[in-house]
Amino acid sequence: MNLNQKAKALNLGCCPCCQKVNEMTERKQRCSRCHHQFSQRKPYSLQYTFAWTLAAIVMFIPANIYPMMVFYTLGRPEKSTILEGIASFIQQGHYPIAFIIFLASFIIPLGKIIGLLILLYNTKSYSRISKKKQTQMYHLIASLGPWSMLDVFVVAVMAAVVNFGFFTSIEAGAGITYFTLMVIFTIFAAESFDPRLLWDIERRNTNDR
Amino acid sequence: MNHLNDINTLIACKHCDTVANSPTLTAGESALCPCCGYTLFSRKVDPVNRTLAVSLAGLLLLIPTVTLPIIGVGVAGKYNDATLIDCIMLMINADFYIIAFSVFLFTIAIPSVRIFSAFYLSYRIKTKQLSTSLLTFYRSYHLFDSWTMIHVFFLGVIVSMYKLISLDELIVGSGLVSMLLLLFCSTLISITLDQKLIWDLLEHELEPKS
Repeated sequence: MNLNQKAKALNLGCCPCCQKVNEMTERKQRCSRCHHQFSQRKPYSLQYTFAWTLAAIVMFIPANIYPMMVFYTLGRPEKSTILEGIASFIQQGHYPIAFIIFLASFIIPLGKIIGLLILLYNTKSYSRISKKKQTQMYHLIASLGPWSMLDVFVVAVMAAVVNFGFFTSIEAGAGITYFTLMVIFTIFAAESFDPRLLWDIERRNTNDR
Repeated sequence: MNHLNDINTLIACKHCDTVANSPTLTAGESALCPCCGYTLFSRKVDPVNRTLAVSLAGLLLLIPTVTLPIIGVGVAGKYNDATLIDCIMLMINADFYIIAFSVFLFTIAIPSVRIFSAFYLSYRIKTKQLSTSLLTFYRSYHLFDSWTMIHVFFLGVIVSMYKLISLDELIVGSGLVSMLLLLFCSTLISITLDQKLIWDLLEHELEPKS
């Protein structure tokens, strides 16, 4: 069996669930081992990824405008958005925590959205970045997904524990719902992307020449 | 039909679609894709017994993690602590249903399903009772791969402790300790569980009947 041949060229398909190689008789079929329904490539992968990414971008805006957390001291509310929360950490001198929060709730979601858009573009046009690098980039995007939920969990824990009625209490703000939706949408976007599409284009280009 | 006989010895990379002959590995080795370098599969050392032990521990740890207080704070003589359930109930009371639902899903429901399916699978393999229902269990294990967030929740608790350090009193609850151990167990499961072995076993056992 010739190495470095693609499964699609041999009319084989790899089950995304159990990784068994199946011979493709239909466009969509059930895996002979785990009975999972699959096709050679994730169907409408690019469309789904693009749609989820767009939805995430839309959610990113209200997530940053509306407050994440409302801090009540003696009945007086003090609202803070994601960036205001980070700024207050820097003022208090908690630099490592400010960095972690900034990374998890601002850089990672934004980086994921931009990275997915770059990968989407690269499946359509040949890019000079090596395919291996792009696959690694996809891996990074997929594995960073859950970490963006950090801020949501922080607010949930703080709201539950700092609950002294009139004296001091913390409540979640409207922004947190948008933020959670954004994180979930980016995870869906990363899940629906098929990295094998990145390798398909290389083959097409070498065949053309 | 040489081609059809061959198909069981082939393996395709999930990430670049390269087909390769499946190598025979000894315990502890991994097969890498010749094209993109991603791990195709790996053979684990003593997978069934180790997974059984670790997932049983994980299942037992789930109970204290959910019911015991994670952290407690005291302000001006008043004391308040919160469990994981309290976090969710408070979010429901404040009408943040999406948050409550996702916290429940990502920190309680999905980790429990994964740990339970790892336990159930290794128990049934150990006692040699294989049936088609195991396929469903194992598929559910794979489905939720990127949706467990105990590790993120743990870091979230650490960050909120940093935020609350200016208060009079801050107590680390026993729930946090068992959450750390649970995190340890669920990470160990993904290390000890031999995915290819289980699929091969299931295929081998279930094939003649169907």
